[in-house]
Amino acid sequence: MIQRLLVANRGEIALRIIRACREARIESVAVFSEADARAPHVGAADRAVHIGPSPAGESYLSVRKIVDAARTSGADAVHPGYGFLSENPALAGACADAKLTFIGPPADVIARMGSKIGARRLMERAGVPVVPGATPADQSDNGIVTAIERVGLPALVKASAGGGGKGMRAIRTIEEAYEAVPAARREAHSAFGDDTLYVERLIERPRHIEVQVFADAHDHVVHLFERECSVQRRHQKIVEETPAPGITPEMRARLGDAAVAAARAAGYRNAGTVEFLVDGSGDSAQFFFLEMNTRLQVEHPVTEAVVGVDLVRAQLAVAGGAPLPWTQEALSQRGHSIECRVYAEDPDEDFLPQSGRILLYREPSGTGIRVDSGVAEGSEISVHYDPLIAKLIAFAETRDAAIDRAASALTRYPILGLRTNVAFLCAILGHPAFRAGTVDTAFVEERIAELRDTKEPTDAAQAAASFWKPPAPPAAATRVERDPWATLERWGR
Amino acid sequence: MSAEFTITDIAPGELLLERDGNRVRAFVAADEHATWVFIDGRTFRFEKVRKGSKGFEKVRGGSRGLTDLSAPMPATVLRILTAPGKTVRRGETLILLEAMKMELPLRAPQDGTVTEVRCAEGQLVQPGSILVEMT
Repeated sequence: MIQRLLVANRGEIALRIIRACREARIESVAVFSEADARAPHVGAADRAVHIGPSPAGESYLSVRKIVDAARTSGADAVHPGYGFLSENPALAGACADAKLTFIGPPADVIARMGSKIGARRLMERAGVPVVPGATPADQSDNGIVTAIERVGLPALVKASAGGGGKGMRAIRTIEEAYEAVPAARREAHSAFGDDTLYVERLIERPRHIEVQVFADAHDHVVHLFERECSVQRRHQKIVEETPAPGITPEMRARLGDAAVAAARAAGYRNAGTVEFLVDGSGDSAQFFFLEMNTRLQVEHPVTEAVVGVDLVRAQLAVAGGAPLPWTQEALSQRGHSIECRVYAEDPDEDFLPQSGRILLYREPSGTGIRVDSGVAEGSEISVHYDPLIAKLIAFAETRDAAIDRAASALTRYPILGLRTNVAFLCAILGHPAFRAGTVDTAFVEERIAELRDTKEPTDAAQAAASFWKPPAPPAAATRVERDPWATLERWGR
Repeated sequence: MSAEFTITDIAPGELLLERDGNRVRAFVAADEHATWVFIDGRTFRFEKVRKGSKGFEKVRGGSRGLTDLSAPMPATVLRILTAPGKTVRRGETLILLEAMKMELPLRAPQDGTVTEVRCAEGQLVQPGSILVEMT
């Protein structure tokens, strides 16, 4: 049994894990960098350890500092969240060496599935379909270009070690390759410290559908159905939902079986996700193994809503040695859930990340609405980390009702002080192609002009701006700055 | 603006606007540069006019982009792809910045000649600082 758990992450996922710990009567330990000294996740935990300067490489990405923090705080377990060190086998390995329970699969499984090449070979042997591709032994520009020619255009060049679209480039003409390959290599190196590139055939207009799997130490492996994640910008998901529209029951069963086979072949443990590219629709659709994410996903709440489970609680139980809390037969989908990722970014400027202080922040609430956020009014969105502000998750009986619920909640979600994608998300939810459930991964790029908010401010907005006066008089001596941290104690209790 | 709105301050940062029996709720906040307004899912940023006592000027994202030749946010200069005296074409990448683990190309806003490069590779640059000058 886990007594005290160190959360090796920040932001909304750290808060999500801390809440689960509280419910499970496990003490929580937060870690924080300089920039996060007063962040909500720090206030919410039972203990907190300062682990270094703001750059992630010197704090959240340091295996040594995370393990040291676990030791000094007396933690007996470490939850990596997603991103940062979650898929770095070095953390899982260091935890094992230090007799700390790592909430995730063993280091060798992470390493095996983290190598796109290794994972692919393993899947081929297990009978799971894969996309044609290769990792050239010759990693020079010319070597990569030769591989691109062999695999065929259009092709995708990506970081062998990576995920999340970093170091990934689509190549449609060989000329493009000479600029794209070095850029992909640089991004791969700076994001993962490993610049090995992988080349594969680009399936045009695929849908991105993934399957949640869960395995325990007692040879049980189950899947918790699919998530449709085709709405992406810059190869990163922004809207996810389950059940996936346009998936037949037969197709769903095949995806689930393939995902369980993949997890078994990997010797998997704890929560994981098997990502597939789906080509076509209906019963004739084909699917290919894309990769396995050996961690909790950002979009796990939609599965929690529709399957009626708590994935983080289950992670803690299974890591502690308990058998899975569910059998495959007991799991089913009910209703529909959609997640919208709210980012500090400017959709008008190629989704350029924004930084700055949140001047005003009010979360929507109500029936079927869940907001997992990592900020409060006054929080600083810093340049050092991912600009995710929050995830808004809607649940309802039907897909249409879930979309309506999410869209309505977004119109009650003011975040002022920096540009966000809230209006962009509203536009996606209102778009006829999204409503029809027919979007593929090219949707955002192709419909970008229809999704941007180009209309002039309404006269109500003008009137509100003209009317509004700052709460304190402008005389500097008497001016009372709003204390951004005054709201901190509301968090997590 | 046709008819006037009746505006009530209902909570901190929250206004109720009424006109012809229709009501809308607005959320408002300001920093030293701008007033931000949220209504019905849309967010507007009204730049404060520097000269003159009152009034607002509408600014949308398009006017302050990466073609400014200044850093849009704190970032690291990854690569400098141009040099003083070079003739460049509109859209050509001059500087590669890195911020939040993503590469951000800084492109030439028009055809012209680079007169000065005011940064070095590896340098951390602050928002608004001019990185390249061109004519």
